[in-house]
Amino acid sequence: MAKLTDYRKDLEKIERDLAELANPSDTEQVTRRAYRIYQRAALTGRPDEFTAAERAIADALERIGPWPDLCLIKANLDMKVHRLTGTKRALEMAPGLAESYPARVLWTDIHLQEGRYQEAKKNLEELIREDRTWDNLARLAYWESKFGETENADRIYSEAQDEITAKEMREYAWVELQKGLLDLRRARHEQAAAHYQQAAEAYSGYWMVDDHMAELLGVEGKYDAAVELYQHVLNETPKPELQQAFGELLAAMGEEKEADGWFDRALAGFLEASDQGGVHYYHHLVDFFSDVRENGSEAVKWAHKDFELRQNFGTEAALGWALYRDRQFGEANAMMDRALASGVRDAHLFAKAAAVKAATGYSRDSEELSRRASLLNPRHQGFHVHRS
Amino acid sequence: MADHNDPNAVNSAFSDIDVSAADLYDLFGFPSADTAGGEKAVIALTMATVPETGIFDSDMLYRVQMVAAPRASWPGTEDQSLDTLLKYFSAVKEKYLGIFKAAEIRVTVDAGGRAHLSFLRFPGGDFNVSIATNKVETVNTPNGHAIQAFIGGREEGFFNDLPGFFRSINYAPQFYHVPHSMTEARELPIPKTLIELEGNDLFNFDPATPKWGKTMKKDMPPGPWTWTGNKFKKDENGNYRFVYDGEDARAGKNCNALIFEIPLAFITPDGQKNRIVNTWGESWVLKAAHKVEAIPDEPFWHQHPRALLDGSESDEQLKRYKLVDTDGLPFADAALSEREDNRQLGANNFWLAPHFIKRLAHLGWGFGPSITALGLKTSFDHDNSPVSVHKTYALAVEAFPRTRKTLFQKLNMPDDSWNPKGMDIPLRRPFEIFVPNVCAIDMDTTGTWPFGRRPEDQVATRFLALFLDMDAELNGKKYHVETLGDPALWASAPIVPKTPPNPLRNDKEFLDHFPYLAEPW
Repeated sequence: MAKLTDYRKDLEKIERDLAELANPSDTEQVTRRAYRIYQRAALTGRPDEFTAAERAIADALERIGPWPDLCLIKANLDMKVHRLTGTKRALEMAPGLAESYPARVLWTDIHLQEGRYQEAKKNLEELIREDRTWDNLARLAYWESKFGETENADRIYSEAQDEITAKEMREYAWVELQKGLLDLRRARHEQAAAHYQQAAEAYSGYWMVDDHMAELLGVEGKYDAAVELYQHVLNETPKPELQQAFGELLAAMGEEKEADGWFDRALAGFLEASDQGGVHYYHHLVDFFSDVRENGSEAVKWAHKDFELRQNFGTEAALGWALYRDRQFGEANAMMDRALASGVRDAHLFAKAAAVKAATGYSRDSEELSRRASLLNPRHQGFHVHRS
Repeated sequence: MADHNDPNAVNSAFSDIDVSAADLYDLFGFPSADTAGGEKAVIALTMATVPETGIFDSDMLYRVQMVAAPRASWPGTEDQSLDTLLKYFSAVKEKYLGIFKAAEIRVTVDAGGRAHLSFLRFPGGDFNVSIATNKVETVNTPNGHAIQAFIGGREEGFFNDLPGFFRSINYAPQFYHVPHSMTEARELPIPKTLIELEGNDLFNFDPATPKWGKTMKKDMPPGPWTWTGNKFKKDENGNYRFVYDGEDARAGKNCNALIFEIPLAFITPDGQKNRIVNTWGESWVLKAAHKVEAIPDEPFWHQHPRALLDGSESDEQLKRYKLVDTDGLPFADAALSEREDNRQLGANNFWLAPHFIKRLAHLGWGFGPSITALGLKTSFDHDNSPVSVHKTYALAVEAFPRTRKTLFQKLNMPDDSWNPKGMDIPLRRPFEIFVPNVCAIDMDTTGTWPFGRRPEDQVATRFLALFLDMDAELNGKKYHVETLGDPALWASAPIVPKTPPNPLRNDKEFLDHFPYLAEPW
């Protein structure tokens, strides 16, 4: 019999726990059951599992009321799907919860999502001084990767890894992927591959590792291997954003027709989630209508929706780009300026801002931004996955 | 953006906390009765049976550290001031951190169940051996000593009414489902006490749910989680209700254990002078990065045979692991350090000294008045408070006057059996016992607590004896560390149930020979 991968073992353990918790009898068991279902969703990344998690949390709340740990799970789920209002509300549901350490951690995410960058960093540093946890170090590293020195980010990710034990190999693999992305965004493909390989060795069978590896293969033009890996990943977790990424790879390969099929599926998935009240695919819809099937007005529509929920460099840049696609150059320029004013240093942001500047007649600014984009990542114009 | 940098997607902040192989239970240490070939110290470190009794987690590394030293004693002055006490702690700290470099036995067990032992910084030089688990083995050292070693599963040697202790300190997680996120709902702000408080419905025994706090928990009621009463609870016969029932919470359970019987001459070249073997244990878990390195699974020193042979390289090995738990004295963690992760300092708990004084005063305001109510004399100055008081201190200087006697009094022993050679050995005092957090085995005694710790010692009850006034007498005999374990005392006290707080003996007989802890169930 084939040896189970680490990913499968974890899934099986969750299933075993859920079987034992089939009839939860007390508050702890009800909470644990909801947590396990959420954990399964986070592990698989499958939209249907997230729907199940949402339902399980709602049922649990109905049954035991606003138990603080349960509210925290709900807050995390809401954060994960960009419902910042839901996160804030969940943290207020149980008295005293908002002041707790895990709630304060979530608030740093909220600050970042709502564009209060310095507040996010300050609070993170304070939390790390209180308790040096790997996840907060990883958050700080991410912050640094966007606003500060990439080397700094890499060092802090390493510090995060130093806090992770052999009992948390998936967490270790996840941080390896972040380190790989740092390299990928600097066109250091060999180093990125080494991190991805390390992640694969640390935690076998994880679709998220394959997803990153497939992107790298695509970036390097190793299309056949990338296709094979994407098919494997999509078989495991049919997420619309992965379907879009696969479509983009096929398009880059010149397989337009096949690519179109995957784009259709991706779009259907994005829209289905939105029809059901989900907001977490808004930014993917913006990307989709800006770059995959160019439709300026649709892109602007979704970008505005996302912008209303959270105003940060990501949504500002996305709205700016959508406005550009809709040929509203003046507004696009203003929005790009807002994104640039955040201080973020990102090759894709600079490249898009350069295009907007060029369209609005600021050719010197455009050239400077193009130069900065190429400095950060000389290969930023090739195939890439929309991860940010 | 942050949706793609989402550590919460992979962390387990809300998961229930699994029993861990890193969870150390106890450290026993006493002189062996077998002196053939020279004196020997027995040291046993016990831990959770994870993954199973007798099977060890190959990601773990355990350290049993030891330093032999002359018998330390208070400078001789009767100046019992806070300043002098803190100077004493500082001097002991210098002694531990300055002069001594602890020797240690480092233990890992590979996935095949073979134990790998490194003996480091002993006078005879460093060496490594591999032995079978669950079997008594003799390790012959390069300098001609024979060490008995047992790495395997045993019967749990701790016998204790743990729920009773938790009830005494109003520790909510033992009785209620307490959310992990509510760290303020651990020890509730209710006076600690040995006898129930009138109206303390949050913790008083509930006859309708006798298993409450043992095998079942209740949902946490809405706050405030305080107590507004002003007296101890009495039943219709005028009896107080004991928070303990004396039941052994660990009955029928096993532990994993590292047990050694080590010649004193192996630990120190001057066994005549260095009569105290200070020992403590630590658990460390492998860091993830090194788990990846270790694939395929090979014991570290098979690839790096010289790596453990000098100090600097051995530290390199330790850098691959993360410290999780320490164990020196019973109740040092639970009662004095409040189980905080960042207080897992073992012998290096010197900076906790002021906290120790404040915590002792906090406990004293709870236990002192309940001892008085039972007609006994307490070492704690509670101003004749008729009932336990919940009081915390921000400053050691404020707490110190209350605890002066508790800290400085000599702990009487029930008889002279602890001192079989009839030597002039001073009785130990609480401040000497708890800082540093080590088990100090006095090789001229039987090693019964606080001169070490023997398996048969009822250490939980002896810990409570700190709060008895050791100058007082009961039936013509001075109070001693076993006074509260005397069934006759409770039989005549106005209290129910009429039982000593903790079981008097283990549920399984200890062995009179190595490895001393009984066979597992």
